[in-house]
Amino acid sequence: MTGSNSNSTCTAAAKVNKHARSKSTNNCSSPSSDSTGAESAPSGSANNASRSSGEEEKDGGVLFYVNKSGFPIDSQTWERMWTHVAKIHPEGKEMADRIRIAAYLPKPPVLSVPNFRPSMSVLDWLLVIQNYMKMLQYNHTGTQFFEIRKTRPLSGLMETAREMIRESLPIKCLEAVILGIYLTNGLTSVERFPISFKTQFSGNYFHHVVLGVYCNGRYGSLGMSRRPDLMDKPLAFRTLSELIFEFEDSYRKYLHTVKKVKIGLYVPHDPHVFQPIEWKYLVLTSSRVAHEEMRKEMEKHARDMRMKILKSSTAQSPIKERRGKSLSPRRRQASPQRRQVHKRDKSPATIDRKPAELSTLNDVGYQIRI
Amino acid sequence: MEPACRKDRQKQKETPNRGDNGKAKQKSAQQELKQRQRAEIYALNKVMTELEQQQFEAFCKQMQSQGE
Repeated sequence: MTGSNSNSTCTAAAKVNKHARSKSTNNCSSPSSDSTGAESAPSGSANNASRSSGEEEKDGGVLFYVNKSGFPIDSQTWERMWTHVAKIHPEGKEMADRIRIAAYLPKPPVLSVPNFRPSMSVLDWLLVIQNYMKMLQYNHTGTQFFEIRKTRPLSGLMETAREMIRESLPIKCLEAVILGIYLTNGLTSVERFPISFKTQFSGNYFHHVVLGVYCNGRYGSLGMSRRPDLMDKPLAFRTLSELIFEFEDSYRKYLHTVKKVKIGLYVPHDPHVFQPIEWKYLVLTSSRVAHEEMRKEMEKHARDMRMKILKSSTAQSPIKERRGKSLSPRRRQASPQRRQVHKRDKSPATIDRKPAELSTLNDVGYQIRI
Repeated sequence: MEPACRKDRQKQKETPNRGDNGKAKQKSAQQELKQRQRAEIYALNKVMTELEQQQFEAFCKQMQSQGE
């Protein structure tokens, strides 16, 4: 993964970018691209194996693939998955063959979708959802099984969530966010919004996303990660910034430096809404000096969200389900300016230095992926 | 009725059933394939999760020893 061109590491103040137009799809450490783990092939084929199509993406420097063939997985994607793991695993093809030719393999139970009961509290329900995702397991195979295009309408992503439940397979962080949204749609007292992180470790950049939740004055999160303290957080944080800083603290344990935090807008509870999710309404480029400023910006954003005065730049009036009648779409609202605060950087030009994290690589260049 | 017509009619009656059977078999085969794939995926995920855990632990130990 190429390093960032920004000189944000040496700026004196936090850079707050509120104009960020989302292009990155970010799925547990992948570089910016239009779709998580795969850019749409121009030909529109279900599973373009051409490298030039961007089918493969990098997760902090390590390749991962995306299944675009549906289920059952087609042979091309299937073989690619096995070839990929055989390259990674020390036992290589031998490991792969042991599984592939096994006459008997344990049959993992298909998990039942969690059912909300009126007697359950919000906390209970969030716990049930998180446990369900944990039971699906984090996907370490190197092939993402569900294609998530972040720019898709919410309704389409909810269909993918249903597929995730139906197929019951391991998932990664972005899939967990979509699934979390789907499973909390019925809880109108719980607001959901995406929180994305860009971090650096040993010269590589990593991307991760969790689903922030807000209910009754408290913030928390749902999600999936390789690291248990970078996914779900209890609904106990009194402010948004407390939650974000908690993530920053957790990242430090894994020697990751948070470079950017992107906070989206509340996701509508109506699963049929056509508008896409707003992934990064507020973008904060961190620096040590501007911690307080970051906190203020986050609190302002949180306040604005609670007061429901923010609208996504891609927001459209929800289009009601058409039942044989043609409804002309309402005129699109003028895209409001995303919050952008430009601060003139008066600090002297700094020389890019090699990140200190490079010294933390071990002999085989192990990367602590998130 | 001409015998040929009767035969045609019989064939018409039989063909939908054969088609249905064929589709059912195909569907069943697909289901089996999905189940097998799912079993392999979880078996593979177990192996790769363990690998990641081992590598992470080894890395942490190395960091500790470097610190000392």
